[in-house]
Amino acid sequence: MPQVMQYQAKSIIYFEGDASEKIYILQSGKLCLNYIDIETGQENREMVKTGEFFGVKSAMGRYPREETVDVLTQSTVVVFTVSEFENLFQNNIRISMQMLKVFSNQLRRIHRNVRNLLAYEDQTDPEKGLFNIGEYYYKNKRYKQALYAFRRYLTYYPTGLYQSQATQYIGKTESFIQGMPVEERASVTDAPVQKTIQKSEQNDSRIFFEGMSLFSQGDYENALESFRTIITRYSSGESYPKALFETGRCFFHLKQYDNCMKHFTALIQKMPKHPDIVEALLYLGLSCEAKGNNQKAVSFFSKILTMGDENTQTIRKAKQALKRIEGNL
Amino acid sequence: MDFSQFDRFKVTFQKGDLIFCEYEPGDTFYLIQSGRVQIVKIMGEIEKIIDILHPGEIFGEMAILEEAPRSASALAIETVEALEFNKKNFEILLRGNPQISSTILQTFIKRIYDQKRRFMILTLKEPAAKVADVFLMLSETQASDSTSPTERIIETSVDDIAHWCGISTQECGQIIEHFVNQRKIEMDSKHIIVKNINDFRRFVNSRRKQ
Repeated sequence: MPQVMQYQAKSIIYFEGDASEKIYILQSGKLCLNYIDIETGQENREMVKTGEFFGVKSAMGRYPREETVDVLTQSTVVVFTVSEFENLFQNNIRISMQMLKVFSNQLRRIHRNVRNLLAYEDQTDPEKGLFNIGEYYYKNKRYKQALYAFRRYLTYYPTGLYQSQATQYIGKTESFIQGMPVEERASVTDAPVQKTIQKSEQNDSRIFFEGMSLFSQGDYENALESFRTIITRYSSGESYPKALFETGRCFFHLKQYDNCMKHFTALIQKMPKHPDIVEALLYLGLSCEAKGNNQKAVSFFSKILTMGDENTQTIRKAKQALKRIEGNL
Repeated sequence: MDFSQFDRFKVTFQKGDLIFCEYEPGDTFYLIQSGRVQIVKIMGEIEKIIDILHPGEIFGEMAILEEAPRSASALAIETVEALEFNKKNFEILLRGNPQISSTILQTFIKRIYDQKRRFMILTLKEPAAKVADVFLMLSETQASDSTSPTERIIETSVDDIAHWCGISTQECGQIIEHFVNQRKIEMDSKHIIVKNINDFRRFVNSRRKQ
């Protein structure tokens, strides 16, 4: 059972460097953590909030304490052993999610600090970095990994700076593989292809993400393919409703206005509570406008104005469209 | 832990498959069920092994919070079966298997500690002090076979140390050679024998105070 402990003002709960066994939560009173900030080398003080845990990292990781805890006013703390804390943590999703987020943030921050000190690593932008990795494996004759990296490169950057080089490398890699004895060839080529299928069967969100990436680069045809894959293969997947919506957007940008209208009309009928319903109406209006059916377009845009918050981008766009049509009329 | 209810999240990778690649946008993380995964980073012309992970361990966990480019590549060094999760279905995982949250928390804590330690090394100005601090760090984390209370036998290489210090292998080699000439260390291809770890501790502490 966790114990409730009282501490008098001016006492110390633990010192920096002490062996760590317990985890604490402040119930009432005022406590202060004193530690050396590793970024500045300066001493730092941080107040503990009521209800906040402290001593978690050192106790769970069995590292010496990294701070000294001063008691400023008489305080009550609840003291947990590591296993008691784990019990609490595991049985309370809210606490575990919160704490994981706090630690994930800390990890990201310290990662960033380390990267900043290693300035040379920061000079690489992700696009060039990914391409370089393909090149590294290619030069080292590790074709399986090279193929993966170049294929990923083309997925994320289909019109990127190194697109033609990556395509050439893939061609060369494949012809190297052609020249290999059949049994070796299989070990190099089959696995990544198999993996893609296995992975995609498991993860519709990855395909969705790829589709969005293609969409943002203006490659609407391939984006449409990605979203269609989700619609046909993962009708119970999490990305399904989003893919339905994005399919309509692709039709619009491909200037397939009839398809766009048909698609969004069906979506609204099928999922009247779809979170992007207002935007679906906008695309219906824009498609009508593009087809020259201004009267119908106005009715869609006017409908949008009766829905949702005035300041959303969709409503602003609907207003602009109405002004545009009025100007033309 | 029983993961049978998570079969729909199962993915299989063949030996040699890249599970993900450094710089790729990351939206998933993995819990290894069988097989081993190597975490590697290409630094210049060297493929640096950062870690080898075993069943029960997780990787790619930064994606729990947000999508960011991967900071290293994950390579299957044998057939690997893993559960693949993303931000959204992470909560399902926690609800179905609360023990996993402790595993992830432990992983975060270990990595935060490792990164902090690395940061401490990098903040030292003098390259020789950085190298000395790597000796201290490695002697903290590796069990020593030595019988002497002050001697430490560390399994490492010049490349490794250079990586930790963020300096070139050549510069690192010169510093190590200097320590060898001063008879403070001895080395073979895989080990460095630190004659008196306290000498290095004093050296690092004095430089840190500056």
